[in-house]
Order: sequence, then structure tokens, then C-alpha cells
Amino acid sequence: MCDNKNIYLPHLATIEEIVDETPDVRTLRLVFQDEQVRENFSFRAGQFAEYSAFGAGESTFCIASSPTRKGYIECCFRATGRVTESLRQLEVGDTMGVRGPYGNSFPIEEFEGKSLVFVAGGIALPPLRTVIWNCLDLRDRFKDITIVYGARTEADLVYKRELEEWQERGDVNLVKTVDPGGNGPDWDGKVGFVPTILEEATPSAQNTIALVCGPPVMIKFTLPVLERLGFTDDAIYTTLENRMKCGLGKCGRCNVGNTYVCKDGPVFTAKQVKAMPQEF
Amino acid sequence: MPKTITEQNLRLLVDTLLKEGARVVAPKQAGTMALYEPLKSGDELALGALPRRSAKETFFPLCETILTFEKDKGGVRVNDVDPASFPETVLLCARPCDAAAPSILDAVFSWDYNDEFYLERRRKTTIIGLACTTADDACFCTAVGLSPADTRGSDLFLTPLEGGGYAAQAVTDKGKELLEKRAQFFSDAGSAKPLPPAEPAGESLDLEKIKSWLDNNFENPLWTEIADRCAGCGACAFLCPACHCFDIVDEGTEAKGARRKSWDACGFAKFTNHASGHNPRDMQNKRYRNRIMHKFKYYGDKFGQTLCTGCGRCIRACPVGIDIKAVLDEINSK
Ligand SMILES: Cc1cc2nc3c(=O)[nH]c(=O)nc-3n(C[C@H](O)[C@H](O)[C@H](O)COP(=O)(O)OP(=O)(O)OC[C@H]3O[C@@H](n4cnc5c(N)ncnc54)[C@H](O)[C@@H]3O)c2cc1C
Ligand code: SF4
Ligand code: SF4
Ligand code: FES
Repeated sequence: MCDNKNIYLPHLATIEEIVDETPDVRTLRLVFQDEQVRENFSFRAGQFAEYSAFGAGESTFCIASSPTRKGYIECCFRATGRVTESLRQLEVGDTMGVRGPYGNSFPIEEFEGKSLVFVAGGIALPPLRTVIWNCLDLRDRFKDITIVYGARTEADLVYKRELEEWQERGDVNLVKTVDPGGNGPDWDGKVGFVPTILEEATPSAQNTIALVCGPPVMIKFTLPVLERLGFTDDAIYTTLENRMKCGLGKCGRCNVGNTYVCKDGPVFTAKQVKAMPQEF
Repeated sequence: MPKTITEQNLRLLVDTLLKEGARVVAPKQAGTMALYEPLKSGDELALGALPRRSAKETFFPLCETILTFEKDKGGVRVNDVDPASFPETVLLCARPCDAAAPSILDAVFSWDYNDEFYLERRRKTTIIGLACTTADDACFCTAVGLSPADTRGSDLFLTPLEGGGYAAQAVTDKGKELLEKRAQFFSDAGSAKPLPPAEPAGESLDLEKIKSWLDNNFENPLWTEIADRCAGCGACAFLCPACHCFDIVDEGTEAKGARRKSWDACGFAKFTNHASGHNPRDMQNKRYRNRIMHKFKYYGDKFGQTLCTGCGRCIRACPVGIDIKAVLDEINSK
């Protein structure tokens, strides 16, 4: 079923591992069932796919694992509706559908020789985690790597084991934070909103790229902070997540003005985003 | 040598095509209205009426299965739908506003990824267009650069003649082939004159000017003044020969079902709703703005074409009386 003309036909994939990140956020590790697909599937950090739970439908998530890790892909999603609830019912060994990869990606080659600052909020770490691992797997090509990651409460932080790993390896500066009141007695991170904590961390904007993903309010308050720190709009990257169906530039759903997020995005610089009509 | 065909022979042509296993879609009386529908015999052909809905369904069904799935202990099986199984089709007596639309839609369905559900139907369809000799108040094809005698998109084109019958003009090789293969139904043209084409009344539109206004007026009071009363019913999009937005949904159960592609409309309130509850087009005027922008700007930006053929169907059907031609006239006068 792979060398097929039907562009809407997904590849079948087996769920190899499930990690519950928070009560409603789950990471799935998927292995393509067809050997040829398994060998030939390649993608770039920032691309997304359409994942299906047969009987419920398809949902759009970024590919959360790194293109440097071969043989599987991962997605991380919050259960919020029909498809995502249905995906959550699946168990290790079950089959789901995946079509993609779609969309553009982060221009990682252009980031080489520069420092990187990742700013993420809540469930929006997955689209940056793919870049983080991609860059950590090629660590010597980049200068300083800073990750500022926050969530409402400790329980809402995703990839907790990886946060620990990043904290322990000496070549990453991880600043984790929870909103005031979101910390338990053993919390070893900061307390405060992401934009405030980012400003306190004062990463240098010199020869540095900032990558920002989070809920719209976080992005809204983060951009002025980055500006004060000296980042220009073409040194700041983010992803837009307009609702999608086809992922292929045909169903007419995901446009922001004449930009089709599924084809022209989802990765954009702050400069591009500011030039768009407010339709996202 | 120009050809003609009598009405009687046109009906016999339908019967012959049907007998050979082709699907013939043409205007047919359905209760009080005419619709483009698959015919069962040439007698059903309704030659005078303008069909209420467009001919879009011939290429792009309201709802179609794109795959089926079954789940059991052995795992999940996904079965493809083979577009090769689509029947040869003749779309007969398509009005110029309907015949021109698929040739515009080809761009989006073949852009980067080929949607074979649409494209294979296109390949397998021969379009026989029919000139209009009457127009109503809503018709405005001439204002968007088409005309009641426009052959664009047709393979063969029929023009009604004084005293009955039709002049038949091959427009493409496909049309020529049909003329040759079905020569028994056609005669050499005599002296009968074509009936004069219809004359839609609408003022001509400067589409370039409209587009450049849209380029600069994403925010404008016009969108609130005109579009706030839009009910978001989607009638305009569903009747439109050129609207192509769709949804993809699963039907059935987890154990057995089908994935279907079905028409959708940017006028629907939840069209762009995010799972978080955030909705980028959260007001009806923003949704109507997208409709106009998509047709008269975005499709042009991307594919150099206008996504409207002036068929007037959205004007006839809008329950709150929104008249797209009036909206365009207003923009054109700015
Ligand atoms: C490029 C991109 C990347 C993304 N990456 C991720 C990611 O990595 N992880 C992630 O978790 N999410 C991601 N998303 C968001 C994700 O696509 C959505 O959360 C997901 O599709 C929700 O799907 P669902 O079918 O479960 O929700 P739906 O069933 O569609 O429900 C979503 C919401 O819509 C409303 N709704 C739906 N149907 C109805 C109805 N009939 N009546 C009333 N209200 C209704 C409800 O408010 C509901 O909560 C991404 C989106 C994009 C575009
Ligand atoms: S927008 Fe209205 S007038 Fe134009 S093609 Fe569509 S239905 Fe016809
Ligand atoms: S037909 Fe009229 S009311 Fe219905 S969506 Fe179209 S413009 Fe709005
Ligand atoms: S998701 Fe269909 S056009 Fe972008």
C-alpha cells in the first residue's frame, strides 16, 4: 500500500512505547510496519504529520523526535477531542496511521556556528524538542544552548526525564520554571512566568537564534522580552498551528491570509509572522 | 466543416453512451428544480433549465470514500480506493459558468501533490458545454471575464439554433474525437443562425483593481458592514462550482469503517476552531472576508486565477440576501 497514488492513504505504524507525560499528555513511539517505509522515511525538524486513529479520524501533531534518531518517530499530544481521545485508548502493540512528513522545517544548517535559545511553554515543548535533540546530537556545531521551559505546575511539565538529562549534561543551560503557586516542596527550578524568567536569564543575543513555542499569550509576552534582549525579528523562530485537515495545501483550512500554514509553514520567523494578517 | 445536432439526436446520443456503459451527467428535472444528475435515458435531459446546483459534483463528489479499514485480532487492514475504477463520464449541457470551473480547480488539485480522486475523474470526463440564451438577475459571468458563449473548459460546445437544434463545435481533441466517433448523430451545418447569446446585466468588474484593493484592505469597515449578517449557513459554498474546501472524517466504528472526504465551507463557525478553543476567525465577518479573499485574491496569488465564474448561484440562494456581485461592485467602485 505504499507506492500508492492516494495521497490521503496513511502508512501503518505500531505503537512501540507509551509514556504518560502528564495526566492528559502522552508520548507515543511509532515504528512503521512496512520495511521499506521504515528505511526510507525521512523528515526534518519542525515538520508535522497527520496521525490517525481508525474510526475516529486524523489529527495534526509535529514529529517530536529528532531526525538524527532513526528507525522510529515520536509524537506527543494532549487528549482534547475525538481523535486524540481515541489515540489515547490505544496500547503498546496497537496499530495507528501516519501520513507525512509535511510542511517546512527549521533551517538547522543556518543555525550552525551560533548560540541557541529555546523558549517553550506547557505542551508546546514537542516542536522544539525535535530541534533540541537534533542540535544536541550535533553538539559541536553550535555554541551555547539555553533552554527556558515553563508550565503552569510541576505536573504539567512534559519530558520530565529529559529535563533531568539536559540539566545533568554540562553543555546545556536549562532554566525550568513553573507559574507562581505551581511548585511543590521539592521543586528545584524557578517560580515565575516564562517571559519574566527568560528576561532574568539574560541570554546574549549576539550571534544567537531564539526559538519560541507556546500558547499565544506566552508568545505575545515573550517577543518584547527578546526584543529588549537585542534579538531581531529574523533571528526569532516560531511555529503556527492553524487547524489542518489535508496537510497538503488543498482543503483550504489552514490559511493565514494567502499563506498556507501546511505548505509555507508551520515554521516562521517573527518577522514573517508580523507581516501576516492577524488570522492565527 | 461545422456540424449540427438535432435535439432528438442529442437524446439518442445520450442513450448510446449509456448503453456503452458511460455515466452521463446532465440537467434533469428533479421536482420543481433542475439539477445536474446522472441520467438513465436521453428523455430525461432537461434542456432549458439552469440547474440549481453546479456541476462540481461530477468531479468532486459531496462526499466520497478515500479508504476503508478493518480491525481484528490480526491487526488493522487499510484498503485503498482505486481511482481507476471511476467510470468514463460525459458531462452534457454544462453551462459556461459550470464548464469553466473545473479547469480553474485543476490548479489546486494538481499543485505539488496530485489528488487523483479529482484528477482521475477529470481525465475520464468529456464536457459538452451549452451556450446560454437567457440570463436572470443574478447571472454575472460577463463581469468576471467569461460569457454565455464561452467555450472555456468545454471539449465540445453546443449553441442553440433558430428553429431548433444545436451547432456543435469541437474545442479540444477530446471533443473532436467525440464528433468523429459519433458522426451518425451530427449533420453538416445548414444555414440556421445561432440564437443570440444571453446578456447578463451586471456591470463589468475590474478584477485587477479588486485584487489590489483586497491586497491592502484585510482590515476594513466593509467586512463588518456587509458580512456581519451572514448566517454562516454555507449554502453559497455548497452551490458554488469553484469552492473546493473539504473535510476528512472517519465513519463507522473502530472495527470497520471508511474515511471520507466531504465538502466543507469556510463560512462555518468551527472551520478554523483550534482544539484549545481559540478560533482565528471567530466572527462571521472574518469568515465572509476569507471567502471573498480566497476567491478574488489568494487563488490569484497562488495560481493566477479567479475562483468565481459568475454563475450567480450564491446570490439566488443566500437566506439573508448577501449579493456577492454587489459586494464586488462596491469594492470595484472604491
Ligand atoms: C502544525 C501543528 C502541529 C501540532 N502539534 C501538536 C502537538 O505536537 N501536540 C498536540 O497535542 N497538539 C498539536 N497540535 C494541535 C492538534 O492538532 C489538536 O490538538 C488536535 O488535532 C485535536 O484533535 P481532536 O480530534 O482530538 O480534537 P477535536 O475532536 O477536533 O476537538 C477539538 C475541539 O474542537 C471542538 N469541537 C470539535 N468538534 C466539535 C463539535 N462537533 N461541536 C462542538 N465543538 C467541537 C471542541 O472544543 C474540542 O475540544 C498541532 C497542530 C498543528 C496545526
Ligand atoms: S462565488 Fe457565487 S457567483 Fe461566483 S462561482 Fe461561486 S456561486 Fe457562482
Ligand atoms: S449563503 Fe449567505 S448567509 Fe449563507 S454562508 Fe453564504 S453569504 Fe453567509
Ligand atoms: S491543511 Fe488543508 S490546506 Fe492546509
